[in-house]
Amino acid sequence: MNLRRAKTIFVKELVDILRDHRTLAAMIVAPIVLYPLLMLGGIQAATSQAREIKKDDIVVGFVKESDWEDVVKPILLEDHRILRRQLAEAKARSASDDEIAEIPIAIGEKIRPLRTDVIRESLLQRKIQCAIILNEPPESDGQTSLTIVVQQDEMRSQIAGQFLEEAFMRVRDEQRDRNLARLHIPIAVVEPIVLTREEITTPGSVLGLILPFILVLMTVTGAIYPAIDLTAGERERGTLESLMVCPVPVMDLIVGKFMAVTTIAIIAAALNIASVTATVYFGGLGETLMQSAEDAEQAFPLWAFPVVLFSLIPFAVLMSAIMIAVCSCARTFKEAQNYVMPVIMLVLVPGGIAALPASRLEGVMIVLPVANMVLLTRELLSGVEVSISTFLTVLLSTSLYAAVAVTVAAQVFGKESVLFADSISLRAIVSRRLMKPQKYPSLSLAGLYAAVLFPVWFYLQNSLQLASPDNMESVLLWTTALMPVFFVLAPVGVALYAKINTIATFRLRLPRWPAILGAIFVGSATWVLAHELFVFQDRLFGTPDILKDSGQAMTDALQAMPFAVAVLVIAIGPALCEELFFRGFLLSGLRTSMRKWPAILCGAAAFGAFHFLIFRFPVTATLGVLLGWICWQSRSIWPAVIVHAMHNGSALALARAPALQERLGLSESGPPTHLPPLYIAIAVALLAIGGFLISITGDRSADQKYPAH
Amino acid sequence: MFIIDVQNLRKTFPSPDGCDKVAVDGLSFCVEQGRIFGLLGPNGAGKTTTLRMLSGLMAPTSGRAMLAGYDIATQPNDVKRSIGFLTANTGLYQRLTPRDILVYFGRLHGMADDRAFARAEELITWLEISEFADLRCGALSTGQRQRVNIARALVADPPILILDEPTLGLDVLSNRLILDFICRERTEGKTIILCTHYLDEAEDMCDHIGLLHRGTLVANGTIEELRIQAGAERLSNIFLTIVHEDKSVDI
Repeated sequence: MNLRRAKTIFVKELVDILRDHRTLAAMIVAPIVLYPLLMLGGIQAATSQAREIKKDDIVVGFVKESDWEDVVKPILLEDHRILRRQLAEAKARSASDDEIAEIPIAIGEKIRPLRTDVIRESLLQRKIQCAIILNEPPESDGQTSLTIVVQQDEMRSQIAGQFLEEAFMRVRDEQRDRNLARLHIPIAVVEPIVLTREEITTPGSVLGLILPFILVLMTVTGAIYPAIDLTAGERERGTLESLMVCPVPVMDLIVGKFMAVTTIAIIAAALNIASVTATVYFGGLGETLMQSAEDAEQAFPLWAFPVVLFSLIPFAVLMSAIMIAVCSCARTFKEAQNYVMPVIMLVLVPGGIAALPASRLEGVMIVLPVANMVLLTRELLSGVEVSISTFLTVLLSTSLYAAVAVTVAAQVFGKESVLFADSISLRAIVSRRLMKPQKYPSLSLAGLYAAVLFPVWFYLQNSLQLASPDNMESVLLWTTALMPVFFVLAPVGVALYAKINTIATFRLRLPRWPAILGAIFVGSATWVLAHELFVFQDRLFGTPDILKDSGQAMTDALQAMPFAVAVLVIAIGPALCEELFFRGFLLSGLRTSMRKWPAILCGAAAFGAFHFLIFRFPVTATLGVLLGWICWQSRSIWPAVIVHAMHNGSALALARAPALQERLGLSESGPPTHLPPLYIAIAVALLAIGGFLISITGDRSADQKYPAH
Repeated sequence: MFIIDVQNLRKTFPSPDGCDKVAVDGLSFCVEQGRIFGLLGPNGAGKTTTLRMLSGLMAPTSGRAMLAGYDIATQPNDVKRSIGFLTANTGLYQRLTPRDILVYFGRLHGMADDRAFARAEELITWLEISEFADLRCGALSTGQRQRVNIARALVADPPILILDEPTLGLDVLSNRLILDFICRERTEGKTIILCTHYLDEAEDMCDHIGLLHRGTLVANGTIEELRIQAGAERLSNIFLTIVHEDKSVDI
């Protein structure tokens, strides 16, 4: 990719978009004018409505006239007297106006009784706000038992009920205290525990609940218009052909456009956040919500806003990429708008799930697009500690999805059937009849499959572990059963549908014998070197308990299984399935657009990411590089399968042979230790010999990237 | 030595009923440097598809075409560097000025900034764009837009120009300006493929004419050769005679 050209396109698109009054309106006017209006107006309206409701008379329903006259009215009159006395005492103490004002107004005057035989219906028809039922008193102990009936989903009814409850409680407490005083009994006898409830707010929690989802929506909204304008708009205005006839690769065009859309989305997000900040701090919204300036500062910490903006950037990148990919399929503005709507709905679903108060950043949520960003933003705002591996997984998975979306966009944007087709573009993209036979899958197809498989596989692994948390054996068996479906059968199905040569794509051709021999040498050495790398990593960063626990659980499970099953589960199954997918399908897709080493490195990074534990990433990704090189060099999958199976088999042999572990000085507890230098030297020698044998099987032209057909 | 060499070019499109639709079939022609080749034909004859293939926008189903020594199938980017392409329905970026557009396309062709600005200035003067060079394109008239479009196609100073309906919908003055400019480009050694429905224009300007009908080239030669072939004087009559003959052969 030529960065200078991508920058030229980016600058032009940015200027073009920023000169459009519709973009400016959506991006600047909406947040600056709309937020304060919506937030302040809405909250003030709600507050004043609540105040109005409090002023209203309360209509209380009774079943019998005597209930009101003989029981309830005297209690309320008593409460009236208590309140008046409290008011007089406050005045006598020359208390401040605030304290006097806090004494409730006399309630006996604002309650209107209404006799009714049908309490439930009267409440539902809003004839009464609440009802009081006099219960049968318990046997002659002088107690009065009342039930207050309120309508749970009606605010006026709730307020009325609370009003009456407080009045009854005041009278009850007053009478109890008076009785106790008369009998000379200390109050502690009947109330040995005095319970006071104090509520504190997690800094940012109020914002954390409501803001991420709104900001996610506003960021998406910010990306929609430019994405449509720069793709479908270009087609509709007739400027696309003159652009495509320039000697510029489609990827450069898409990257330039994608950067412009991302920039606009981030500017929109930043303006939205700035507007919220201004509304909370200078518009008095914080005080209105939290009663005092101090509470407002606690609930809406200023530092939270830049944190939110920072965490929104990867999300803006992802959404821009998705929008560009979707809009690239459309030929007109209207068509693009039709395509965008379902995408917004798709964003709302995981975003909405994440916005639920009970959702946490754990399990599949960590890699679920959109939901993970909403939750990460919320956790950051609430001051919850997010582990570095979770944080990185969220950012990496989001970046992976964004990269795939950009690649797919480039593929779609330049596709002839979409550029000039008169029929429906989407059909032109997926119709098998319109596909030409290809030797390898395109980068976008392989990347798209990997991006879909990533959360699906993560979810399956999580579900298996949740289903049998203490049964690693079952997890391993299920994984072995599912792996061929997702890593082999489904990609083969995709390849067959897309008329892709499966022999070439999955590198099924038999290698030359030196490659097989070399693979056996390399395969017998990799475990030692992977272990040394792991020890080195452990010295630097330590090893989390979760990794140690899962390692131990796996060792136990492997010891318990019959040997043949263990070999299938740990060595043959993963070696075949993972190699066919990562070094077959994915690497073949990568090699159509990349040179040797970038393709191998990207494939290895995906291989590492699919193991889901960030602490295993360095080891698995390094193995991925080695396996990728072996496959590229030998032009066959089989040497990589041999190395992979032998590597995993070594781990199995160790797990089942404690004596061997002891001889190698590997303790079960405590930090991992280096192997004896002799073993390391032998492993390095085997690797060198094997590497040499494999390298002589390759040809020089293997350095070049392969065309897709 | 031909600068454009087209041999047996064929393009088919899959259609919903399963039978491929043939848009261009066995098209062959050659153009020498510094000549104007007129590609004429009724609507739906396959002219636009041919031009799109020649400009590297569409891959041919079979056949071969070399432009300025580059193969359109295997060297599309080199072909794109060698041509200036003006399509019949070319639009302009409404919110950019003509100067912005010329500099932008110059940069996309790999020009350094100062070179792109200088070339834009040159074209603005030659095509008399100065007056509206800094207005947004959304405010320009059809003739003004077409001048900007032609300038855009010429920005990289390519040896080959492919012009599809360059004078469509223009008034007499704009029409004259653009035709004069095309003649001048030919004088300077550029090779031009011109598609037009205005047969008088084609008769006046083209050195060679290819008549495309239902995807095949039914006539190809100088205007004199076509007159002899059809036995008619005016190009419009030649056109009608050959097209009718082609239909009757089908019947």
